[in-house]
Amino acid sequence: MPDVHVTIDGTEIAVPSGSTVLEAARIAGIEVDTLCDHPAIEPIGACRICLVEVEKQRALQPACTFPVSDGMVVHTRSEKVVGARKFVLQLLFSERNHFCMFCQMSGSCELQNLAYKYELDHWQFNRPMPTYAVDASREYFVMDHNRCILCRRCIRVCDELVGNGTLGLKNRGADAVIIADLDVPFGESSCISCGTCLQVCPTGALMDRASAYMGASDQVERVKSRCMGCPVGCGTELVVRDGQVIRVEGDWDAEPNKGLLCVVGRFDPQHEVRERVRKPLVRQGDAWSIADGEAAYGLVAEKVAAAGDSVATVASGFVTLEEAQALGSAVRGRKFYMYDLPQTDRTATMADLDEADLFIVTEMDLSLDFQVAGMAVKRGVRKRGARLILVGEGENGLADWASMRVGRADLAKVIAMAKSAERPVVVSGPAGLAAAREIVSAVPAASLASFAPGGNGRGLCDAGFGQTYAGDAAKVTVVVAGETSQVEPGLLDALKKQEFVVVVASYREPWDQVADVILPMPTAFEKSGTTVCADGQAGQVVAAMSTRVPTLEATIGMVAEAIR
Amino acid sequence: MVLEQTKTEDRAAFDEGPLEEILDSFSAQEGAVIPILQRAQQAYGYLPEEALRMISKRTGFSLAQLYGVATFYSQFYLQRRGRHVINICDGTACHVKGAPRLVTTLEEELGIKAGETSPDYRVTLEVVYCLGSCALAPMAVIDGQVYGRLVPEKVLKLVRELD
Ligand code: SF4
Ligand code: SF4
Ligand code: FES
Ligand code: FES
Repeated sequence: MPDVHVTIDGTEIAVPSGSTVLEAARIAGIEVDTLCDHPAIEPIGACRICLVEVEKQRALQPACTFPVSDGMVVHTRSEKVVGARKFVLQLLFSERNHFCMFCQMSGSCELQNLAYKYELDHWQFNRPMPTYAVDASREYFVMDHNRCILCRRCIRVCDELVGNGTLGLKNRGADAVIIADLDVPFGESSCISCGTCLQVCPTGALMDRASAYMGASDQVERVKSRCMGCPVGCGTELVVRDGQVIRVEGDWDAEPNKGLLCVVGRFDPQHEVRERVRKPLVRQGDAWSIADGEAAYGLVAEKVAAAGDSVATVASGFVTLEEAQALGSAVRGRKFYMYDLPQTDRTATMADLDEADLFIVTEMDLSLDFQVAGMAVKRGVRKRGARLILVGEGENGLADWASMRVGRADLAKVIAMAKSAERPVVVSGPAGLAAAREIVSAVPAASLASFAPGGNGRGLCDAGFGQTYAGDAAKVTVVVAGETSQVEPGLLDALKKQEFVVVVASYREPWDQVADVILPMPTAFEKSGTTVCADGQAGQVVAAMSTRVPTLEATIGMVAEAIR
Repeated sequence: MVLEQTKTEDRAAFDEGPLEEILDSFSAQEGAVIPILQRAQQAYGYLPEEALRMISKRTGFSLAQLYGVATFYSQFYLQRRGRHVINICDGTACHVKGAPRLVTTLEEELGIKAGETSPDYRVTLEVVYCLGSCALAPMAVIDGQVYGRLVPEKVLKLVRELD
């Protein structure tokens, strides 16, 4: 696009035509205060904090939506602008309850920061009292409408990024209220608890139950890491206070999730209720005792030494590449398995999902697994008008987004539709892979995004864990579980039949049903290493907390030492 | 405004036919949500939950978006309305001339609050603010018919005469 020339606060610059005044100001290195605007979503000009003076315009204009034109002269700091912004802030503070000293967001609030910046030291208008009921019906976070400034960031991320369309606004003007669906309690709505709204809310209106009052933004550290919950491998920002992860946020700069997370990555770790394994546990009949390190490692060493080559090692997706390599070199020549093998004939990237005009999802519920990929499908349907075909029967959380549901027997129909699409993408899990392959091989334009459970599944495959575990008999079976909680009953049944089972895990359940010895393992918050994300890029898991639980490498070392 | 908890018998009674036709006639037009809601309201007298769900499914507008539109414009009703609609004016002139007494009289008579509909769906009682007939204050509009210089006895009589 051709450049246009604008002058902002006396600096003349050339910016692409079609830019907004806000974008132009950023190019010129001039900061304009904003509130409803957020880089990940479209601007709507709702809050009027970004008002600037544009010469030849009668009224002040919102920089976030006002387009530049050639020769435009803009003032972002004139007296008029500052006065208008103060007035806007006064109105915002007067509409609802902004008694900051009782708000969990105090110290991290974008509204409060602006009030300090513009030196608001008193209420010019009415002192507002809370008038709306707090909605605490949602499991992980609470909505206090009294602190809401109606910026609509939450509505827009739910619609534009997550594609869920749960949130909206009822009534109008100052009476407007954020609602879910047909104004039902949030906890009874179509909300999927991804927490994206919570992450973008600039005020204390949305409050995380787990981390509320645990620390303001200048009291916490942020560590960029990766979720190991599923093979999407979302980039995270771990919010750390005093050596504890208090909250998980999505990393806006990370591929493939671009800031989004699902409930598994954002909330599950903070709401873990299973008993932590910190010391080795040894089974004695039906009882468990905390063993002192040497005894437990000695017992494992004895069994492993006696087993010779009859050792099977089974890994979950919570194992990093480095951990897998350590296992591989320690127990060379023995068998390595995964719970479930990832599919390797994957041709679609996550970016392809954002360009597809037709999604075909075979026998998989993307509202339960690989949810961030599911969000790409939902937003494709909602925002781009892409179509979605669900192949397979049964309940499916994406049914409302689907334009068609067909049985496994109707693949011919699906293939015909895929042939007339421009960029069809087939998404499958292990169950639907055969159908997915059939479609892809019949439709040259189609690409395939296949997922299998296990966060670092692809990495483990590369590291030699190339077989699916089917309960193969071994004298010693070592399960390297990490913090995984989704364990198929079939796996537990198979393990129950084994002679001697050692589980290295962060939590006791469900392994106490099958193990003879449980050795401690750090969680993904406590260890560093590499994981392979969707599209095959490596992601870094970075330790945000220290722990006395030995690393897997150290555990292997102690067993090896005891064997010697 | 809360959405009426649709009673089971009403839900069973929801007839998709009229809405089906309306939606078909708009199927080529994207974003025609306001006319669709208007036509649906004409067909059903208000916007039942089932209608909103059906519109959402067919147009791709989320439930929350539809609810937003329906509560933004005062022309839309989310609750089933009575066969008769009484609008009592409580604008400045009517207020001074005793409109509040008319309202309390009718609230007592009908056993409902202003803004509500009687459980038998006979009457909806609403308070409005200045209908531009201040010379007739206090005035009311009953089923589109203007009545002026009202006193409680007179308004009671009018309402009792409604079937
Ligand atoms: S809840 Fe938060 S994000 Fe949503 S409109 Fe209110 S202030 Fe904005
Ligand atoms: S989609 Fe997968 S990787 Fe992303 S947050 Fe959810 S569980 Fe973690
Ligand atoms: S940031 Fe521009 S109007 Fe809110
Ligand atoms: S005040 Fe009632 S008609 Fe004007």
